[in-house]
Amino acid sequence: MADRNLDQELPTYLGQNALDVAAQAGAEVAHFRIARHDSRGVSLRDGNVENVASDSTCALSVRVVLDGAWGFAGSADLTPQAALDATNRALAMARLSAQVSSDRVELVDEPSHGEVSWRMPVEVDAMAIPDSQVIELLTEWNARIAGADVVSHVDAHAAMGRDSTYFSDLNGNRISQSRDRISAQLNAIHVGESGFDDIRTCAPPAGRGWEYLTGTGWDWEAELNELPELLAEKSKAPSVEPGEWDLVIDPTNLWLTIHESIGHATELDRALGYEANYAGTSFATIDKLGNFKYGSELMNIIGDRTAQHGLSTVGYDDEGVAAQEWDLVTNGILTGYQVDRSTAARIGLSRSNGCAFADSALHTPIQRMPNVSLRANRANVTTQDLISDVEKGIYIVGDKSWSIDMQRYNFQFTGQKFFEIREGKIVGQLRDVVYQSKTPDFWGSLTGLGGASTYLLGGALNCGKGQPGQVAPVSHGCPSALFRNINILNGRMEASA
Amino acid sequence: MSDLTIAQSVEVALDLLGSNGGVVVGESNFSANLRWANSSLTTNGSTQDNTLSIAAFVPVDDGVGCGIASGQVRSVADIEKLVSTGRASAIAGGASEDANDLVSGPVHSDFSEAPQAPDFSGIEHIAKSLGVVMQDTSAQYFGYAEHSVDTMYVGTSSGTRMRFAQATSRFELCAKSPERDRSAWSGQGGTSLNEVDVFAHAKSVSQGLVHQLTKIELEPGHHKVTLSSSAVADLMIYLMWTASAREAAQGRSVFSAANGETRIGEKLSNRLISISSDPAMSGLETVDHVVNLGSSSMSSTFDTGLPIARTSILDKGILKALASSRFSATEAKLPFTPLADNIEVIDAQGHGSLDELAERMIDGLLITCLWYIREVDPQSLLLTGLTRDGVYVVREGKIIGAASNFRFNDSPVGLLNRIVDAGEAIDCLPREWADWFTRSRVAPLTIEDFNLSTKSEAI
Repeated sequence: MADRNLDQELPTYLGQNALDVAAQAGAEVAHFRIARHDSRGVSLRDGNVENVASDSTCALSVRVVLDGAWGFAGSADLTPQAALDATNRALAMARLSAQVSSDRVELVDEPSHGEVSWRMPVEVDAMAIPDSQVIELLTEWNARIAGADVVSHVDAHAAMGRDSTYFSDLNGNRISQSRDRISAQLNAIHVGESGFDDIRTCAPPAGRGWEYLTGTGWDWEAELNELPELLAEKSKAPSVEPGEWDLVIDPTNLWLTIHESIGHATELDRALGYEANYAGTSFATIDKLGNFKYGSELMNIIGDRTAQHGLSTVGYDDEGVAAQEWDLVTNGILTGYQVDRSTAARIGLSRSNGCAFADSALHTPIQRMPNVSLRANRANVTTQDLISDVEKGIYIVGDKSWSIDMQRYNFQFTGQKFFEIREGKIVGQLRDVVYQSKTPDFWGSLTGLGGASTYLLGGALNCGKGQPGQVAPVSHGCPSALFRNINILNGRMEASA
Repeated sequence: MSDLTIAQSVEVALDLLGSNGGVVVGESNFSANLRWANSSLTTNGSTQDNTLSIAAFVPVDDGVGCGIASGQVRSVADIEKLVSTGRASAIAGGASEDANDLVSGPVHSDFSEAPQAPDFSGIEHIAKSLGVVMQDTSAQYFGYAEHSVDTMYVGTSSGTRMRFAQATSRFELCAKSPERDRSAWSGQGGTSLNEVDVFAHAKSVSQGLVHQLTKIELEPGHHKVTLSSSAVADLMIYLMWTASAREAAQGRSVFSAANGETRIGEKLSNRLISISSDPAMSGLETVDHVVNLGSSSMSSTFDTGLPIARTSILDKGILKALASSRFSATEAKLPFTPLADNIEVIDAQGHGSLDELAERMIDGLLITCLWYIREVDPQSLLLTGLTRDGVYVVREGKIIGAASNFRFNDSPVGLLNRIVDAGEAIDCLPREWADWFTRSRVAPLTIEDFNLSTKSEAI
């Protein structure tokens, strides 16, 4: 188990020589990083412990701009010689790259923050909780569900992690940071004569400590108690009729639609083509900034690296830029991008909004997603108010399958629970619901927004991007929301058509 | 890193695990990569990594517990900490239901040798070739090249000592028209970037852009399509990942039959198509003994050291095997079936290249790649995803232009019975799963009624 002062163990003294050598070689920019990642996980299958595992990795890296080109190298060896070797390899990569690079790398300025430290606040250090206590909690959850007749199998797991990082550069920064995350899920499966169904808890991963799994920030008790009955109802529910339906989308589902259709679409590196071979580009090209109608006037989207309990929340990004909050979509109009220091320079911005991130010291920082969130209605609109405004619709709760095209237009999502709405009231569950739309059409159909009481910070631990592939945790806050006339497919019919 | 070699670290860890036993895996990785966009190199990297992972076995009430701990070790004290952490996890977890005796696996004579040294000359070869290709102003080029060398040292308390070394390379080239209204892709997996003919890939994507000069409007619906080897690989890798014996026997999978039975023995395709993995696949060899740290429906730590044989999940159209550990095989009442880390999809009636297959299709769509593949319905294994970088319209055996991209909703199991023609299997790079899976030898397939459910405007 890790202690809370891991950053004190990081060999930060290795940085100065690396920076000196890079500067002497003529590097215009030199960044030195050390990153330590501690993680733990426990999984249960039908009440039996399947895995108890922990991992701790630490590495250093040097990133330079030399002759107008990037060079990056890293090593898991934490010695003065390894730091020197990494510096020389980074310089060599930059020299090689400079021969074939037509665009010079420029970074926008960022004031020096000097020697600072930042820690994500948590109440109870999850990394210090014994495995036995985690297993005890999951076993209790499993027992509560497994006894129900409808439940054939139960899968449960919990995971927690901590990133401890150090960043220094030629600009006088010496930044130490530490942030935590925690998640848990329980999936109940019903196997019947006509097939199988499952239903999963909807608690999102969070930038919190152990307190999260014991009731702070999520009502596990209530969710677990209702799971068997919801599964029983789902297993007998009628299959959805394809066609146009109004949707009231719960934040436990909508966060993922925001992630895919807005979060990735407003990444400036995608808009500039840097991800064209892999993750893709974006329909939200820079000529649309300030004039493109992304959605209805109810739509106000912010990017931030400051949200309390946010998975992308930090004090400073991996280029030494202080955390900020900014607008991405204002009253339905595209008004901003997520940028790092080099992409900011490409479109003439004077400052980065702090979206540089690497998931390991062995990966080069690239522009990654901040917390991207939909602002709640200022009025006190409840989810029930939204449902009451629907004649024929579906209230969708929880995320499941997701897919979107390489320019973030055509998407298709499913969910955990689908409640049919008739004349303003929920009349029961549906199954096999798949919703499909095109991003500007979907957000243009937003006609109702829940108030602060419906707002929830959802998120994911596994956002993938970049080559070599990197994984980032990220949160998305949103209220419940009402969308009109959305195309619904039937998953079973799609398979058999 | 430390005064100890990786092999010595494995031995130290095994000594510390003592008579209770366990499994230790040491890994060395050297990697270098280049990335480019808008016809200019962007990011790059050169990295070195070493990790040690241990599975500690501890006697507990009613059996043996297993705890996993991994990390980088820089001293004997670090190894002691790892073993101590693993032991604590094993005790906390209680008896492992998949506990089993470790076998006395192979003892490789090169176990104590140093990690295989990398040869990164291919990176320079790619950079120099790109320097020429990117002078072409009729298109903009994007892509990625990576070469890595992994050496794995596996030791068990039952005497197994295995060393596996393998190089893996990957090259991808995407070309877009300056107006960004056309896009084509070509990729190659393998073991050396020096084998990559960048100019041949450039020629291929340039040809794709020429075909796309003629745009043809097509409505979504069920179409006859020819899927490239890369596209077929992406679908069939997903099929292989979900071919779990235990989940099938529990009624939780597309491979489940009624009354706790599986669909093994069922004819899933009218074609003589086989889906296999084989550690000895020529040119795509991979680790030939089980190395597991962790348990799942398809794997168990306790199986480490057991040999992996060639396995055909689908054999000439008939479902023949489902993946399992020794424990999950017992639960499913099926033979123990470990899979290797490669895939082969061969149709015994298949012949000819992708171009010849498209020509034989007469009328239909030739699809270059699939992307963003996700499971929609596990019961049918309905997958969704997008076509990407080239949907070519074939009429009377000739490509006459390109359609838009589409979202597909179809099942790799369901489509097995709609295969109407196949080409010869070739080594290919699965576009979607290349981060995890590069060793693929797969035939292109022509499929009737492929469900292209909605149109995508994405280029």
